[in-house]
Amino acid sequence: MAANPSPPTSLAAGAPLIYQRRIRRWAVQIVYLAITAFVIFYVVQALGEREYGFGFLNQPAGFDIGNQWLVDFDGTTSSRLTLFFVGVWSTVRVVAVVIALSTVLGVIVGVARLSPSWLLSKTAMLFVELFRNTPLYVQVVIWYAIGLFGLPTIQNVVNIGNFLFLSNRGVALPWPHEQGGFWGGADWMVGVWVGVLVIGGAVALKVRKRLQNQEQATGQTRYPNRIAMGMFAGIAVVSFFLLGMPVYVDRPIIEGTNYAEGMAVRPEFAALTLGLTVYTGAFIAEIVRASIQALPKGQTEAANAIGLSNYQRLTLIILPQALRQMIPSITNQYLNANKNSSIALGVSYFDLFFVANIISNKIGHAVEIFFMIIVTYTVLSLSISLVMNIANSRITARDKEDGTRTSGLRQRLIYALRSRVPMGETS
Amino acid sequence: MTESEERLTSTTAPTERHGQKVVLPPHRQRAARPYQVRAANWLRINLFASWDRTLLTVISFAILGSVIAFVVWFVMSYANWNVVTDNRRLLLIGSFPHGAEWRLWVGLCFVFTLAGASYGMWSKLGLRDGLFIVIGSAFALFMILHETSQAWAALWFGVAVVLLSVGYLLCRLVPREEGPTRRVATRVLGLLLALSVPIVFALLMAGPGGADANELSGYLLNLLLAPAGIAGGILVGIPLALGRASSLKAISWTCTAYIEVVRGAPLIGWLFVALFILSDIIGGDLIVRTMVVLAIFTGAYMAEYIRGGLQALPRGQYEAGHAVGLPHWRTMQLIILPQALRISIPPIVGQAIALWKDTALISIILPLRELVGSSRSAIAQGEFITARIEVYVFAAVMFWIVAFVMSRVSQRIERSLGVGQR
Amino acid sequence: MKTLRYGLLTAMVLAVVAMVAIACGDDESGDSSGEGRGDTIQTIKDRGELKCGVKQTQPLFGFKEADGSVVGFDVEFCKALAAAVLNDASKVEFVDASNAATRFELLASGEIDVLIRTTTITAERDAGRAVDFAQTTFYTGQGFAVHADSAIQSTADMEGATICVQSGTTTEQNLDDHFTELGFDYTPLGGEDAETQDAFLARRCDVWTADQSNLASRISAFDNPSDFRVLGQIISKEPLAPGVRDYDSEWKDVVNWIVHGLIYAEELGVTKANVGQMASNPPNTTIARLLGVAYEGGAVADLGFGVDPQFLQRAIAAVGNYGEIYTQEIGNNIPRACTLNALAIDASVDCPPGKGGILYALPYR
Repeated sequence: MAANPSPPTSLAAGAPLIYQRRIRRWAVQIVYLAITAFVIFYVVQALGEREYGFGFLNQPAGFDIGNQWLVDFDGTTSSRLTLFFVGVWSTVRVVAVVIALSTVLGVIVGVARLSPSWLLSKTAMLFVELFRNTPLYVQVVIWYAIGLFGLPTIQNVVNIGNFLFLSNRGVALPWPHEQGGFWGGADWMVGVWVGVLVIGGAVALKVRKRLQNQEQATGQTRYPNRIAMGMFAGIAVVSFFLLGMPVYVDRPIIEGTNYAEGMAVRPEFAALTLGLTVYTGAFIAEIVRASIQALPKGQTEAANAIGLSNYQRLTLIILPQALRQMIPSITNQYLNANKNSSIALGVSYFDLFFVANIISNKIGHAVEIFFMIIVTYTVLSLSISLVMNIANSRITARDKEDGTRTSGLRQRLIYALRSRVPMGETS
Repeated sequence: MTESEERLTSTTAPTERHGQKVVLPPHRQRAARPYQVRAANWLRINLFASWDRTLLTVISFAILGSVIAFVVWFVMSYANWNVVTDNRRLLLIGSFPHGAEWRLWVGLCFVFTLAGASYGMWSKLGLRDGLFIVIGSAFALFMILHETSQAWAALWFGVAVVLLSVGYLLCRLVPREEGPTRRVATRVLGLLLALSVPIVFALLMAGPGGADANELSGYLLNLLLAPAGIAGGILVGIPLALGRASSLKAISWTCTAYIEVVRGAPLIGWLFVALFILSDIIGGDLIVRTMVVLAIFTGAYMAEYIRGGLQALPRGQYEAGHAVGLPHWRTMQLIILPQALRISIPPIVGQAIALWKDTALISIILPLRELVGSSRSAIAQGEFITARIEVYVFAAVMFWIVAFVMSRVSQRIERSLGVGQR
Repeated sequence: MKTLRYGLLTAMVLAVVAMVAIACGDDESGDSSGEGRGDTIQTIKDRGELKCGVKQTQPLFGFKEADGSVVGFDVEFCKALAAAVLNDASKVEFVDASNAATRFELLASGEIDVLIRTTTITAERDAGRAVDFAQTTFYTGQGFAVHADSAIQSTADMEGATICVQSGTTTEQNLDDHFTELGFDYTPLGGEDAETQDAFLARRCDVWTADQSNLASRISAFDNPSDFRVLGQIISKEPLAPGVRDYDSEWKDVVNWIVHGLIYAEELGVTKANVGQMASNPPNTTIARLLGVAYEGGAVADLGFGVDPQFLQRAIAAVGNYGEIYTQEIGNNIPRACTLNALAIDASVDCPPGKGGILYALPYR
C-alpha cells in the first residue's frame, strides 16, 4: 500500500522519484488499475463465448404459476419478464410482512429476555439460541412440513363459523373486495375512496400538528389525537357512503377442493414468512436486549423514582431510547431478511429467485439472469435502507434541540449507502 | 435491572452486629442460611416477586411446558428415528470410500486435540463446558452404537475425546504469563490452527485410498466447506478492508464496489455463479469453486467488520506508528491490524456462524450433497417418505451443535479480550 | 485532485494497452481450451473416470442408497459407458443432477460428461441449450397420479384442481398447454421434486403430474402403493434420452451407439452371461461385428468410433443387454411399452423381454 515512509517535507526535491509521495501514489494506483483491468478483462473474455441479450424476456413464459395476490398471471400469454416481476412482487410481499412481524416478535422476546422473571427470561433465551443457531432453510422446510402434514386436509377442513377456514391448503380469511357500489359506479370507485382516505389522513395529521402547537403555545388542552382521529374516521365513513360503498367484505367459501372468494394465505407463503419472522426475530431480540442493556442504569432508576409502572417505564423511557441505538442494526436485519427470502424455492414459493432460476433452466442466459437478480436485490435493499434512514432521521431529529437532520433525497440515499454496515448475519 | 444484580442486592440482607447493621459479604450470608430458605428466597425473588411477575412466570411456564411436552411427544412417540439411524452413514459421511474411514477418525482426533489445546491455552473449561462435552459425547456414542456393533468406531471416538482432554491438560501446563515457553507454545498452536484446514483435507484425500473430491458429502462436507470458506473469507477480507479504507481513490472505489456488489445478492445467488459462471473463468473441481465462492462472499462481509475495527481505532495509533519511523505497511502490520482484528473478532465469529449455517444452502443449487442434500436422498427412500420432519430436525440439531459451540467460543473471546468493556 | 485525474487517465491508457495485448496474445490459448472441452472422450481417458450426471432421488432410475452407493436404470448406462471407454465399469463418478433446474448447466460447464437423468428430448433444449441428445433409452408420457379414494379418472375431471408439478420441466409446460386446450382453470403448485411429492402425499394438491414412469417408480417404492392410483391417461410423449454437450459428435456417437448396441444385443440374444463365449466364438457376422471380433478368421470390423471396436462387448459384459438392465432395475414395476400408441402404463400390455418393446436398434454395420 502506498503512503509516506517519512514526512513528505523531509524530502529534497532531488530525491529519487520512487521516494516522492505523489509519484508513488500514482504508480501504485496505475499498477493496481492495470491488474484490475486485467482481471476484469480476463473474466469478460472467459465469458465471451456465450451469447448475450435480453430478448428471451419477451417470449411467453410457457407455464403457469397460479394466481398470486393482486396478480392474474397466465403463462400462455404473459412474457417471462412479467413472470419475473410477479416473482419480485412475491418477494416484496414476504419481506414486508416479515419486517413488520419480526420487529414485533423481536421486541417482545428481547424485552422478555431481560425480564426479572427468571423463567420468562430463560424461555426467551431458549428461543433466541434455538432459532438463531440453526439454518433458516432447515427451519423453513420443517415449518412447511409441519404445515403440510400437521394441518387437516381440505376434506377435513376446520371451519370457524364460515368465516375462517384452516387446512393444509392454507388459511382462508374474509377480505375486502371492490364493487361498483349502489350508484352503479365502476370498480375503480375504490381507488377514489382510497385517494380520499389518503388526503383525509394528511389533513387530519396537519390538524393534529396545529393543535399540538397550540397546546404547547397556550398550555390549554386541545385533544389533538382525539380530534384528528375523529376527523379521519368521519371522512372515511362519510366518503364511503357518498361513493356508494365501493368495498364489501368477502367471506371465503370452499369450491371443490379449493378456497374461493375471500383471501387465502397459502402454506408456502405462511411457512416462508413464519420461518423468516422467527429467525429474524431472534436476531432482533438480541439487538433489542443489547441496546437496552447499553442504556445507563440511571434511566431505570429515574423512572422508578418518579413512580412509573413497569410497563410505563418500558414504553416511555427504555424502548424509545433503545430504539435510537438499534435502528442501524435492525436495518441490517431487514436487509438480511430481504436476501434470506431467496430460500423460497425450498417451499415452492415463487419469489424472484425461484422464478429467475426456472427461467434460467429453460433458456440458459445465466449471466443476464444473475445480473437481474443482483440488481433487483440491491434495489430492494436500498429501498429498505432509505425508508429506515428516513425513520432514523425522524427519530433522532425529534430530540435534537437544534433540529439538524439529514434532508433531501440525495443526502438520504448517500447516507443509506454509507450506513449499510452489517451486523451479525448474512446471506 | 439484570437478574444477577437483582439477586445480589436481594441476598445482601443486613445483619445485626454490636447493635449496628452490617452487610455481610454474599458468600458468608449464603453459608449462614439453610438450604430451604435460600431456595424459597430464590423462588420468591426470581419468579413470584409481585403479581405481574407471577403472571409472567405462569405464562412462560405454560408456553415452555407445552413446547417441552410437544418436543417430548415428538421425539419419543411420533417420530420415526429409523430414517436417521438407518441412514447414519449417508447423512454423516455420504459417499466417503468404504475402508478409508480411519482417515476420518484421524482427522477427528486431530481436530479434537487442537480444540482441546486451544481451550487450554487461551481459556479454561467450566462446569457448563464439561457438561456440554459429556452430553455431546453421549449423543455421539449413541449415534455410533445404536443398533450396530461398531465397537471400533466407539473406540476411535473415545480416543478423540481422550486426546481432547490431553491437549487441554498439556496446554494448561503452559504458564499463563508471557514468557519464552508460552510464546513458543502459542506460535506452534497458532501455526497448527492456521494450517488445520489444509491438514484435514490432506488427511482425508492424500495418498492412495484417499477420498476423491466428489466423494466428500454429507455432514462431513459442511464441516469441510465452512472452515475453508471462513479462512478464505478472512484472507480476502483483510486486503479488502485495507483497500476500502485506503486514501487512494482507485483502490478504495474498486474495493467498495466489490463489497457492495457481493453483499447485494444472496448467497444462493453466488452459488449459482459457482456453477454457471465461474466454471468458464477458473474451472477446476466444483468443490474448489464452491470454496472460492464462499470465500468471495464471506470476504465482503468480513471486510466490513474489519473496516469497522479500523475505524474504531483512534487516529493517534496511525500517527504513533509514523512517529517512530515505521513505514506505512509496517504500521499497518504491527500496530493497526492486530488491534483492528481484535475489535472485530466478535462480528467475525458471527459471520463465521452465519457461513456455517449457510452451508445448508449449497445443495439447493449445486450438485454437492451436504447434510441437507443427503437428507433429501434419505427421504426419497420409499419407507421414509413421511419421515421428512425427523430427518430435517436431525439436520437442524447437527447444525445447531456447531453453531452453538462457536457462539459460546465467541462470547469467551469477547470476554477475555474485554471488547465489550470499552 | 489533479494528480488523481492524471493518474486515472494514465491507468486507463495502460489498461487499454494491457487489454489489447491480452486480446492479441489470447487467440491460441482460447482455441486450445475450446478443444479441450470439445474432446470428451480424451478428457475422460485422461481423467480415468467418467462423470455421469444422474438423479439421486428417484427410485428405479437414479437413487442413492443408505450406504452412499447410487443405483438405477440410468446408472447402468453410465456403467456401460465407463466400461466401453475406460474398460472398467466402476470408474464412474456419479454427479448429483437431481435438481432439474441446473442439469443442463452441469453439462455446459463440463461438470459432467453425460447427463442420463430421465431427461426429455425437446426441440427447445436441442436447439437452445448446449445439449445434444443421443438415442432414447426410455419412452414414457406425462401421466397423473391421484389418491386412491379420489373421484378423478382423467384430466376431464380436473377442473379447478390443484396440481403438483415439478418446476423447470417439460411437464410443467405440457400441463399448461393441455389445460389451456381444455379451457379449464387449475392451480399449479410448482416446486422441486421432493416438495411436490410431499405436497401430494399431504393432499396439499389433488393431482400429481410427472412422467408416468416417474410416478409409477416412486409410488412403487412407497410403503403403501395401493393408496395411490396412476391414471391410464397420458398427455404427452416423453422420450428420455442421454444428453451430451453440443459440438462433440464423436462422443455423442459413442453414447448413441452404446444405447443402440445394448438394444441390439437384446435383439440378438447376446447377454451378460454369454457375451464372453459369443466373443470367442461368434455365431454369425452380425454378432461378431457388434462385439468387435473376427468372424471365422476374417478381419475385425472397425466402424471408426473414437474408441476401439470392442467397446460394446465390454459394455454388455459389464451391465448386460437392454432387456437385462430393464428387468434388473425396473422389472415389473413398470411394464415395458410396446408401441408408441400404447405408451401409457397398462398392465395388460407388457412386451415380453427380448422383443425390444418400443425400442429397436438402428443397423449396426
